[in-house]
Amino acid sequence: MKVTAVQPPAIRGGFCPPQNPFATRFVRPGAMPFLFSPPIDREALVAKLAELQWRGAIVGPHGSGKSTLLAELLPELNRVGRRVVQFTLHDGERRLPIALSDRALSDAQTIIVVDGYEQLNAASRRTLDRHCRRYATGLLVTSHEPTHLAQLYQTAVDCELMETIVDLLTRGDRRFVSATDVERAYCLHGQNAREALFSLYDLHERRWRELHERL
Amino acid sequence: MARSFRMYGKKRGHRRTGSSALGSLGEAAVFAFFLALGTVFLVLLLKMPVLPEWRANHEFVETTGAVLGKRVMPSLDGTSYRAEVLVRYTVGDRQYDRWTYDVTFNSPWAYSSNHDLRQDEVDRFQEARPCPVWYDPEDPATAVVVRGYSAWLWSLLLLPVSFIVIGGAGLVYAVLGWGKSPEHLAAVTQLGRRLELFEESTPLARDYPNVPRDANLTNSPGTRLKYRLPITTTQGWKLVAAALVALGWNAIAVFFLVKSLSTSGDSALRAFDWRLLLFTLPFLLIGLAMIYFLVRQFLIATGLGPTHLEISDHPLLPGRFYDLFVSQAGRLMMNFLEIDLVCEEQATYRQGTDTRTEQRRVYATRVFDRRKFDIPQGMPFEQQCRIEIPPGAMHSFQADHNEVQWKFVVRGEVTGWPKYERVFPIIVFPKPQAR
Amino acid sequence: MARTADPTTHRLPLTSLLHEPLISITLDKGQQVYQPGQTVRGEYQIDAVEPADIRAVELSVLWYTEGKGEEDFAVHYFERLTAGDMLATGLHELRRFQTELPNSPLSYEGVVVKIRWCVRVRVFLNNGKDGVAERAFQLGEVPYAQAVLP
Repeated sequence: MKVTAVQPPAIRGGFCPPQNPFATRFVRPGAMPFLFSPPIDREALVAKLAELQWRGAIVGPHGSGKSTLLAELLPELNRVGRRVVQFTLHDGERRLPIALSDRALSDAQTIIVVDGYEQLNAASRRTLDRHCRRYATGLLVTSHEPTHLAQLYQTAVDCELMETIVDLLTRGDRRFVSATDVERAYCLHGQNAREALFSLYDLHERRWRELHERL
Repeated sequence: MARSFRMYGKKRGHRRTGSSALGSLGEAAVFAFFLALGTVFLVLLLKMPVLPEWRANHEFVETTGAVLGKRVMPSLDGTSYRAEVLVRYTVGDRQYDRWTYDVTFNSPWAYSSNHDLRQDEVDRFQEARPCPVWYDPEDPATAVVVRGYSAWLWSLLLLPVSFIVIGGAGLVYAVLGWGKSPEHLAAVTQLGRRLELFEESTPLARDYPNVPRDANLTNSPGTRLKYRLPITTTQGWKLVAAALVALGWNAIAVFFLVKSLSTSGDSALRAFDWRLLLFTLPFLLIGLAMIYFLVRQFLIATGLGPTHLEISDHPLLPGRFYDLFVSQAGRLMMNFLEIDLVCEEQATYRQGTDTRTEQRRVYATRVFDRRKFDIPQGMPFEQQCRIEIPPGAMHSFQADHNEVQWKFVVRGEVTGWPKYERVFPIIVFPKPQAR
Repeated sequence: MARTADPTTHRLPLTSLLHEPLISITLDKGQQVYQPGQTVRGEYQIDAVEPADIRAVELSVLWYTEGKGEEDFAVHYFERLTAGDMLATGLHELRRFQTELPNSPLSYEGVVVKIRWCVRVRVFLNNGKDGVAERAFQLGEVPYAQAVLP
């Protein structure tokens, strides 16, 4: 979906509050592209997954971009003919929220994608694994720690990547968030880019208000 | 007058019609259950051995008897033993021959699996020799040759007592919070007012999408001003959980205490049980401290009394003035009582495995402030003041993941007690437009 | 006659070589701030595609939240035109819309919660693609909020 520029209307006599580039709608997985370090790109990763018999894991710490990478790979997986069935596990969910006996999950053209694999308890993992082996169904997961599945990709965040992300989100408008701010956010939150972006959200809100008060 | 008590917080906010946190039949039932359990246990303990022991030590009459025999009698299933001594004694002109030992003789407490202990006990008596006998003056056929206090049985009393204290205090707290609304409702007998309240809520909800409904807030008329505002606190579940923890803790501590004391009669094992006793003591002290703090919390609530807020109109509109009436009951010496009008944004975000809620306060004004004053018993503190909803106020907003909430936050501190906070949600509507 | 780029309507010269639909939305008199109960009126136009390529066109007047929380939204007014409707009246015609705006929720520029109103036009093409354009407006005049330290 391509959205043409939305101009926030004037509030308070001609002044236009700037849109916060760090709002969830711009930052959530799927809204932002995943930034690969060349030569890796999404076609290459999907090809690698194919070599691994469509079984693999995306590993990385909290907020380092695993769900974003997943969102990036899904269209490519569809393009090469795999049918994707995705589940996202939230806090406290220890079991798969579906019955694996579902016919739709039992063919070799399907990949089951589990976002938050580390939440599953041992029994559920075994059941899932057995199921996938039996029907030759693919299995792609994201996890905070290494799993028995082969590692497809390791997500990691460094200061340079944060700066690139911020530049992308702000479209070059760095009036309110400078490179120093990004560096500070990265130092504070480390690998957790999501938290860093949230703190930059607060900073952006504070800054434009300060600017407006001064005028 | 059913109210729902939530043990958890809902994203859409808490709407309560009660005037205190534990105003629910369910909670009262839980505390009543503990109270009943404790009472039953206490009664059983009093029946045997507590009261009989006390009677044996204070009321039984001493005489001299002769030991005719002694034995260690196994129980019916052979796993435990009882000390038995056959004595002959005379009361008035009647002679009694009785197998007995102490007051617990005819109860299960007389049995012990420790055969040697029982043997030692009967060995203290020598046949054909005189020995002191104490008989019950009301029933001379009942007599003992040993009397004293079994420390461990008395220590068991701690358990039912703590159950009763917690159950009773909780029940009192629940009941105290109960009675207010119906009295207030009964006080307002104007039927016309009732109809007005009923009609108000429905059209507004339709015309103002995503502005929370005010049905709960306007069904309680005030005594001075039009409406009494309901309170929202979620402290209730914390207290219930703490009470359960305290009960469980005490049960375990008392169990160990009992274990450590029950073998204290035997000199050979004395070294072991002192160690266990010392080990148990800190846990017991912690348990007692838990009870103390819990009771203190309940006393704060009951001694404090409910805080009532009444408002001259509802829902509220930006740029308008309203009267606010506050009444605080209790027998208290207040360090301060403050009321703030607050607006908070709340955003909930769920992605990946994270769920988080962020809150930001975007408006806060102190509308009432009083320092260092006394509230005498029976005469609640009452004060009326004028408040303004700022002209540029955003209206109350409620959606699945985002909210704008307006509320009164009452904060007070009683001398010697911790600070308390009570929250009263209100609804601000958008300014009505001239069409 | 050359057309110059019009910043208020997103309209670009027809000589551009994009294969996506170009949608332009305008509000009457360029009005940006509306009061509850007022009627928002405007028109939209679709360029750079053939009528045969269009499957459907949807117009909505909606509000959505932005900020730190998950997005909430609600559609206040919705209309859908199918290919048949489009052909009947001609593609490049300016199509009008209007709706009476509700009393709430008002546009709000908060700290972690923002509420935005807009008119959104979405064009569905037969080849599966779609294009979207939005024109934002403000409902009510609530001043922006500032965070207050407790």
